[in-house]
Amino acid sequence: MHTQLRRRSAAVVTAVALLAGCSGTAPGTAPATTASPSATTAAATVRYAAPGSPSNAVTDPHGLLPGESDVVRMALTYDVLTVPGADGATKPRLATEWRPDATLTKWRITIRGDATFSDGRPVKAADALFSLRRMGKKAAENFGRMAMFDLEAAKVIDDTTFELVTTKPYAEVGKALEGATFVVPEGSDDFSKPVPGSGPFRPTGKGGAQAVVYERNDDWWGPKPPAETIEVRAVPDPQARAQALLSGQVDLAGGVPATLARQQEGNSAVRLLRRPGATLYPLVMRTDTEPFDDPRVRRAVRLALDRQQLLDTVFLGYGEVGNDLITPKDPTSPATLPQRTRDLAQAKKLMAEAGLADGADLTLHTTTAYPGMDGAATLIAQQLAEIGMRVKVAVEPADTYFSAVYARKPFYVSYLGGIPFLDVARVALTPGSPTNETAWQDRTWSAGLDKALAEPDDTIRRRLLGDLQADLRDQGGYAIWALSDRLDLAKAGLSGVPEGIGFASAFIDQVSLDG
Amino acid sequence: MARLPWPARALARGVLLMAAASIVIFLCTAALPGDAADVLGGGRAAPGELARLRAEQGLDRPPHVRYLDWLTDVLSGDPGVSLITGRPIGELVAQRAGVTLALAVAALAVGVPLTAALAWAAVRGPRWLRQTANAVIVAGAALPQAVVAAALVAWLSAAWGLFPPVSMLPAGEPAWSRPDLLALPVLTLALPIAAYGAALLRGAIADVMARPYVRDAELRGLPPAAIALRYVLPMVAAPATRLLAVTLGGLVAGTAVAETLFGLAGLGELLVTAISTRDVPVVQSVALLAAAVVVAGLAAADASRPATERR
Repeated sequence: MHTQLRRRSAAVVTAVALLAGCSGTAPGTAPATTASPSATTAAATVRYAAPGSPSNAVTDPHGLLPGESDVVRMALTYDVLTVPGADGATKPRLATEWRPDATLTKWRITIRGDATFSDGRPVKAADALFSLRRMGKKAAENFGRMAMFDLEAAKVIDDTTFELVTTKPYAEVGKALEGATFVVPEGSDDFSKPVPGSGPFRPTGKGGAQAVVYERNDDWWGPKPPAETIEVRAVPDPQARAQALLSGQVDLAGGVPATLARQQEGNSAVRLLRRPGATLYPLVMRTDTEPFDDPRVRRAVRLALDRQQLLDTVFLGYGEVGNDLITPKDPTSPATLPQRTRDLAQAKKLMAEAGLADGADLTLHTTTAYPGMDGAATLIAQQLAEIGMRVKVAVEPADTYFSAVYARKPFYVSYLGGIPFLDVARVALTPGSPTNETAWQDRTWSAGLDKALAEPDDTIRRRLLGDLQADLRDQGGYAIWALSDRLDLAKAGLSGVPEGIGFASAFIDQVSLDG
Repeated sequence: MARLPWPARALARGVLLMAAASIVIFLCTAALPGDAADVLGGGRAAPGELARLRAEQGLDRPPHVRYLDWLTDVLSGDPGVSLITGRPIGELVAQRAGVTLALAVAALAVGVPLTAALAWAAVRGPRWLRQTANAVIVAGAALPQAVVAAALVAWLSAAWGLFPPVSMLPAGEPAWSRPDLLALPVLTLALPIAAYGAALLRGAIADVMARPYVRDAELRGLPPAAIALRYVLPMVAAPATRLLAVTLGGLVAGTAVAETLFGLAGLGELLVTAISTRDVPVVQSVALLAAAVVVAGLAAADASRPATERR
């Protein structure tokens, strides 16, 4: 029962993932060869078993979205202003244009004029601004997504345009409006009853606790979704999701265990979809706490890690070795840096220079919230033993890990799933950010971030943001040892699963079983 | 204590038991580290924001105030809303009641006869059967549900292909419309119940069987079925009913493992998730529902006692 409790909590804390990385696939055209035993389901219905918990299925799109199933449900029901593309670049959605003034502090957002809520009302700029303000009010529950805006100063210009004001010059407003900016009708505040959306699908009352059934919204402004019906089912257990797909009870299973994925290689009835770089378990070292307050110790730790062994053991090889870059799949992440590899001699030398020739005694905190986090800590402890670090691994309960360990302990295994660099910077890398877990207080770096965000030229800004990530890689308190692929199983013939990680993967409106 | 008529006494005792259960449940949940605001903040919210959230949800009030507030709501017929999802608790419970009821009824339909058969075999069977039954009882009562489930999946699903390995109930259809999907979760619940029940009842049966009048009846050549019905059943009826009451309570809220492994959304999953997210009003409501079933069952066991004691 105890392990089960832990496992259940794992689904719960998915919340903290900001958003777990999701599945990805190139639109395939393979013929459907699986024989689904469920004859009752027409091909027009796509059934998705998504990570999440039916008990935590929220209805408020602006608060905490505890599971991926919650994000997927919201993305079917409501339109968002912009979306991340497969390459991480911002794409228009309900917003067609976002233009700054010369100071980069006043932004004029234009939305489509042809979107309507399911109750027939047109979607107006006032609805969009209301929704952003509602997100601002619920900052504690959405990782402060609207923190860059002064929403009081924002205003509606006309039915399709509104003006946003940022507190500092902020060139990446398009990115700030990505993914989570679900637009609801102005004045909506009670989400215990269904609130009309303007998204590609509409929830039906059918389904209850087991699954939520969505019908295509034929009035949607976007490309007509191929599926008439999409059924979203929150299934907490990864093994159960995979078995549901293999036994033909669903058409798409999100986030399946690597062990099971490996067994399915060569099975022509199913397709394994890999989304590179979806998840990382950063090793967090607090830069204001001994011994990590000495940059040489942090460097020694990074040099002592055997990244390939960690990748092969923790993620069964489904992924790539990390180069200590905190958001390696962000389009601004520097791509040309040499790969960091294990160098025990150099690491020992650094330890000696830091006065730790005899090693150090440390406690590394970890949990069982996500598969392999505990195993990763054990292996890291073994690897660090080779430079004299005596690391005791403390496995903490999953349900309190993110409140008791995050930003409170000096040395722990963390979790990041498909999050853009500026989001990580906001929550964890600015001196005033709510959970600056590595105690990263570098003034030059912070000034550099402001400077980058005040840079109107895309190419220059990209380079500046890349330089900041490179600095953090060498100086900061993170060790990123590997990136795990997100693994999904799909019925052969299923196409239209969005590529990309994070919020990009939540927009499944174009899935199709027609192959 | 003044002699009240039986129904009044049973009612009074039921109310006291329920009140005690609700306080114990509340104290246990309150003693857990962290609260719903911590969960909503996901470890990434500033302390000031968390404090505001806590105040909004009334989590900053002293425990006894929160308890009395909840109690008032429940007594007025509205258990309130979930702290995590904001959804009405009545709706959360109602949506899952069908699945849980189907599982519980089916598990009892399988488990009760199996309990009787196992207990009887363990006491009265020939030597080989006694040994087998006792081994099954020990193993069945000791194995975690997850292991029972894995074994059943390996055997009845993977090897024999009789039932699907998971149970994605069709959306919007009642659970009992798909018995094939319920088979493995029901067996996962019923086998340990039967083993545990038989472990408790076999002693009582052995006691009865050792009594002189039963041995006498045996010597007179009364058939075993008649002995079972006439002598054994009346003596084990009261402990068996009490056992049934507790088992049923467990089936209302203690089915999280089977539900999670087979992908069902029932009350057990709701309870365990609510505990892990510190969703106190949901924990209170579901646990109290299970307690009510146990209390009602025990009262029923009590009520049936005079009838059995007449023998």
